[in-house]
Amino acid sequence: MAIDFGAIAPELVLTATAILVLMVDLVLTDQAKQLANPLSAIGALVALGFTLPLWGDERSTFGGSFVVNDYAVVFKVVFLVSLLAILGISWRYFAESRFFQGEYYFLLLVSFLGMLIMPSARDLLLLFIALETVSLPGFVMAGLRKRDLYSSEAAIKFFLIGVLSVALMLFGISMMYGFTGTTSLSGIAQALGQWGASPPPLLLASLLLIIVGFGFKISAVPFHFWAPDTYAGSPIPVAAMLAVASKTAGFAGLIAVTFIAFEPFAGVWAPALGVLAILTMTLGNLVAMQQRDMVRLLAWSSVAQAGYMLIPFGLAVTGNAEVNEAAVQATIFYIAAYAIPNIGAFGVVVAINRRTGYRSIEDFAGLGGRHPFMAVAMTTFLLSLGGAPPTVGLWAKFAIVQAGAESGTVLAYVLLFFLIVNSVIAFYYYLKVVWVMWMREGREGMAPVTPGVNLSLVTAALVFGTVLLFVLPGLIADTTVSTDLVAGL
Amino acid sequence: MTGFYSQWGTFALLVLFGIGLYALVMLANRIFRVNLPHPEKLTTYECGVDAVGTGWTQMNIRYYVFAFLFVIFDVEAIFLFPWAQILGNLDASSPISPTFVLVEMFIFIGVLALGLIYAWRKKVLEWE
Amino acid sequence: MTLIGPLVLAAFLFCVGLYGVMARRNAVLVLISVELMLNAVNINLVAFQNLVWTGDADATGQVFALFVIVVAAAEVGVGLAIVFNMFRNRASINIDDADLMRW
Repeated sequence: MAIDFGAIAPELVLTATAILVLMVDLVLTDQAKQLANPLSAIGALVALGFTLPLWGDERSTFGGSFVVNDYAVVFKVVFLVSLLAILGISWRYFAESRFFQGEYYFLLLVSFLGMLIMPSARDLLLLFIALETVSLPGFVMAGLRKRDLYSSEAAIKFFLIGVLSVALMLFGISMMYGFTGTTSLSGIAQALGQWGASPPPLLLASLLLIIVGFGFKISAVPFHFWAPDTYAGSPIPVAAMLAVASKTAGFAGLIAVTFIAFEPFAGVWAPALGVLAILTMTLGNLVAMQQRDMVRLLAWSSVAQAGYMLIPFGLAVTGNAEVNEAAVQATIFYIAAYAIPNIGAFGVVVAINRRTGYRSIEDFAGLGGRHPFMAVAMTTFLLSLGGAPPTVGLWAKFAIVQAGAESGTVLAYVLLFFLIVNSVIAFYYYLKVVWVMWMREGREGMAPVTPGVNLSLVTAALVFGTVLLFVLPGLIADTTVSTDLVAGL
Repeated sequence: MTGFYSQWGTFALLVLFGIGLYALVMLANRIFRVNLPHPEKLTTYECGVDAVGTGWTQMNIRYYVFAFLFVIFDVEAIFLFPWAQILGNLDASSPISPTFVLVEMFIFIGVLALGLIYAWRKKVLEWE
Repeated sequence: MTLIGPLVLAAFLFCVGLYGVMARRNAVLVLISVELMLNAVNINLVAFQNLVWTGDADATGQVFALFVIVVAAAEVGVGLAIVFNMFRNRASINIDDADLMRW
């Protein structure tokens, strides 16, 4: 069982880049430390170059615990593109304030390393290690502004809730191991299948405990307390990373655990996750309406978005591969369509906030006159998050509705009803920001917006992507359709 | 099953014996000693020096870095034992070559060593 | 040896840890409580490995326990640094004092 180095090449490249960035940071001084950014970007590009040829392959290594199939490749591409975009919006933000640049890029790369492993992991041990590799650098990055009270508060809240939920998840894993005698996802699925209709309550409890660990990562409602405070307190590019990449990683793990390992008990977890989805999107949207701080608004909106992404989980049915496949595909489509505008929205906030410290919604007043490009970009991103044409967000919502219609259960229609009600609520606060940007006059003597070349390029690319995918949704849809999650087990 | 509980029975007997011995010695002490109370005898005994302050003091935070560097290499060692066990059982006919396994562990230790280099370059190892 | 002993011990440790996380307000004590929970997991894993799944040639439970130990050490390292940073900023490690942000 030789190790398939081709399959783990993207991870190896990212590891090497991370170590290189840390060492380069020790050698360089002051201004030159900025070089860590292009170095990381090159690493991400090379990793992307190694990932794309894996498309269409079915590879399995490390005794079947690491699998590369189309499902994994789609996620890896989303992660690496997000990494490039986040590097783009980070450069000036970190170079100007000059804090811990080398460490920041090192931690960012390590966190993304964990994310790359997540969709390939087919073993609870590897999933747990990947989850921790994503989280631990995140704790440090949230507290990166060491002298800032808000930043240290963000870090401690994130950390305490993070370790608590991981401890709960590990207890669930240990009980699951006791019941099944294996930690491989397919092995668990087999063992669970033999319990039949009357599983012991303890088994169901451990199953739900394992889901808790991922629920924290995706900030689903009972475990969402950290999210708004942590996003608001951390440096804004870190908030973008937590809201998009880290949440996507949580979903990658959750899909693997639920749809592969716990598939025989879909009757138990599907309604539970469905209820969580309703709670998450409703609470997220209702609280987001009352926010005055732009970052907190995006934070609560990202909680609500996690609720939309959870809807397809509520549709799962044991043994009905067709419905399950449709559900997984809808989630993946939604995640990809959510990542692009959300990083973009955080990018615009970075551009407004960087030198001025502006962050409340009022500070966006008159942006249409002051910097039309940023205003157009923000409008596009917010429309896409809300799900309006001409953006990809429309097709994302449509994909979920389609999956729900295919399932056709009562729960599915309840979920879709809440999806529609919530979309309307969400439009209220997204459009409020758009209205403030275009219709309201800015205050006298506001500092000019200076995004810088790098950030403008990234924002332009993201706007282009949002609109292009509206015209050609097939670019994602065709790839998600061919992703066969269960294959290559 | 019975073996398990009889083992604990032995342990319980040992504990009872210990308690009995302690009680016996203290009782003998109480019976035979002379009794001369004096206020000096009630102060905290600290190597003949008068005790100052309370029991709660702040440690220097520098110890944290050293303690943590120790923990890293301490915890790393637990991976060495299963690795050594596996390496010892490998030979030329194994599906994976022993040389590769050996090199792999040195890469692992090398990454940790880089962390140490980082700490050294950031001057956290110096006590000024 | 019977399975019930280690399992009861693990469940007890886990509950003590969970209670500590909920009830304690000192950040360092919360960290210690989390460690208790993780050690309960280790007891569970090793007990299941040695008493139930003895035929498992990969020794999954024990290997998993090793990884849990390592990750616990990493978590505590990061956690103490974060707590220390909070102490430097506001001279308190009471987690109820971290209340700048709400909603």
